[in-house]
Amino acid sequence: MRLAATALALGLGVFAFAAQAQQITGAGATFPAPVYTKWGEAAKAAAGLELNYQAIGSGGGQNQILNRTVDFGASDAPMDPAKLESGKLLQLPTVMGAVVPIVNLPGIASNQLKLTGPLLTEIYAGKIVKWNDPKLVELNPGFALPNLAIAPVYRADGSGTTFVFASYLSAVSPEWKEKVGAATSVKWPAGTGSKGNDGVSATVANLKGAIGYVENAFASQNKLTTAQLRNRDGKFVSPTEAAFVAAASNGDWANAKNFAVNLIDQAGAASWPIVSATFILLPKDPKDPARSANVRKFFEWAYKSGDAIAKGLDYIALPAAVKEAALKTWSAEIK
Amino acid sequence: MSATLSVIPGPAKDMNASLALGRKRKRANRIVKTLCLTATGLGLIFLASILATLLSKGIAGLSLTVFTTSTLPPGSHGGLLNAIVGTLIQTVLGAAIGTPIGLMVGTYLAEYARDSALGNAVRFVSDILLSAPSILIGLFVYQIVVSPLGGFSGFAGCLALALIVIPIVVRTTEDMLRLIPSQLREAVIGLGAPKWKMIVLICYRAAREGIVTGILLAVARISGETAPLLFTSLGNLNWSLSLTKPMASLPVTIYQYAGSAFQDWVDLAWAGALLITAAVLAVNIVARTLLRGRK
Repeated sequence: MRLAATALALGLGVFAFAAQAQQITGAGATFPAPVYTKWGEAAKAAAGLELNYQAIGSGGGQNQILNRTVDFGASDAPMDPAKLESGKLLQLPTVMGAVVPIVNLPGIASNQLKLTGPLLTEIYAGKIVKWNDPKLVELNPGFALPNLAIAPVYRADGSGTTFVFASYLSAVSPEWKEKVGAATSVKWPAGTGSKGNDGVSATVANLKGAIGYVENAFASQNKLTTAQLRNRDGKFVSPTEAAFVAAASNGDWANAKNFAVNLIDQAGAASWPIVSATFILLPKDPKDPARSANVRKFFEWAYKSGDAIAKGLDYIALPAAVKEAALKTWSAEIK
Repeated sequence: MSATLSVIPGPAKDMNASLALGRKRKRANRIVKTLCLTATGLGLIFLASILATLLSKGIAGLSLTVFTTSTLPPGSHGGLLNAIVGTLIQTVLGAAIGTPIGLMVGTYLAEYARDSALGNAVRFVSDILLSAPSILIGLFVYQIVVSPLGGFSGFAGCLALALIVIPIVVRTTEDMLRLIPSQLREAVIGLGAPKWKMIVLICYRAAREGIVTGILLAVARISGETAPLLFTSLGNLNWSLSLTKPMASLPVTIYQYAGSAFQDWVDLAWAGALLITAAVLAVNIVARTLLRGRK
């Protein structure tokens, strides 16, 4: 009895001490979570705003903002225009990132192995099954590729990374586009599934002969073995910041509806072929204008002062013109 | 029975057969004993290896900042303060909401509705709730609280946890009250006491140990629950004690940090797992010593 009374007193005490700071709640994609939280930390000091961003996945972010349970949603895959319309949502880009192939091959260091988009398609379609396949040997004459089975690893959960990677495979292979396509989860013809970026990396790290795809921030933070890719111009490029920026600067933002720009397989000798933007989703009819204004204040701050933080975490900042256009649209669509 | 008896040979009649039978029984006994010991050993090995992993990885992540700082972005040397406090608040409030309801339902089932149709129906529903996946409870609270109110909140998390507490407390309370001999009840009634006095002053007192154990089991269970909190209290990166805003919790933080790309987050996840395990262990030990002391 006394215990229950103490518990109740504690609970009431907690009510009394409840802090009333200006809080913004966002939820969605896991990919931008590190940069959003880091922005949140810096903006708290600079602009007095507390961001609570919960990485529940792109699909979850879309659903939560449709249900209006959060102040903004976040998604790696651009939302279907019809759904944006019916859900009264505004979609804006925040940062860009890249997806990189990772491999586990004895004797092969990072960025030594050369791959092409069509070869990746054939590997994930189960058509190339050995690392010493003539097509791979021809591309990599300097290395003695072993007679080892290739184990493709994909994301078992719905994922923006899968959407970006499958978009790339669809862009380079009409057959893939027709048979498998691009979505947050697709029907993989071959390979095994793992949950999350961490699951894919762990499986690839533990399985000799495995190949997988992860977001670049993940590969560089965990020092995974990445591979080179041949870009649209026929040049082999390593997954470096310069290669990502080269691809990002080529994006045709002006003609992208809802900012859903396509950055996959961009032209340019230095371009990395698998780059994509990540988006936030905002209600056009905010219930609470004060909170809506706080969200705007936060992202305005991030556009203006967040580039260095994004770069430090291996993301690519948006071009200045795109940020300007995004803020203009924001002002026009949300009063 | 008589057939079995006639099969067993007496020692005087057939010494050899009797010895053979004895050997056979001993052999069977040894085999079953070995199997039992192996099973126990396997269970203990798993438990020990879980605890060893938890200790070795968790202690590495433990430091003073874990208790003094809230969660921070990767590389900023954050702690778990907001998650620890959030879990304490939600567990205590969840238990405080769920326990009285569970106690009353359990009492109703044991004392008022033992064999009635309504009692059986309530018992059946409560048992289903007991085995319902906790993610369903989270989704239920999401649908009836979070979605209509338009926001995740610590209070929704407390409600979800309370819904898990109720069936556990119902079951243990009913079972414990049913163990009390009917002579005791008859004696109380025979002395002229009303039924409510019998329940409150005699039955509860006699069943106290079991009922308290049930409540503590429920507390231990909800302190480690992730699924019902994912879509109710959501989680909070910042220090917040408001029940109307999203609230952090240790299990959700562990869930998010354990699979992250950043080593300091992974270390914190292990430290958090160690803290929960230690807390649940402490609750159990304290409860046992308290109960033993009162006896």
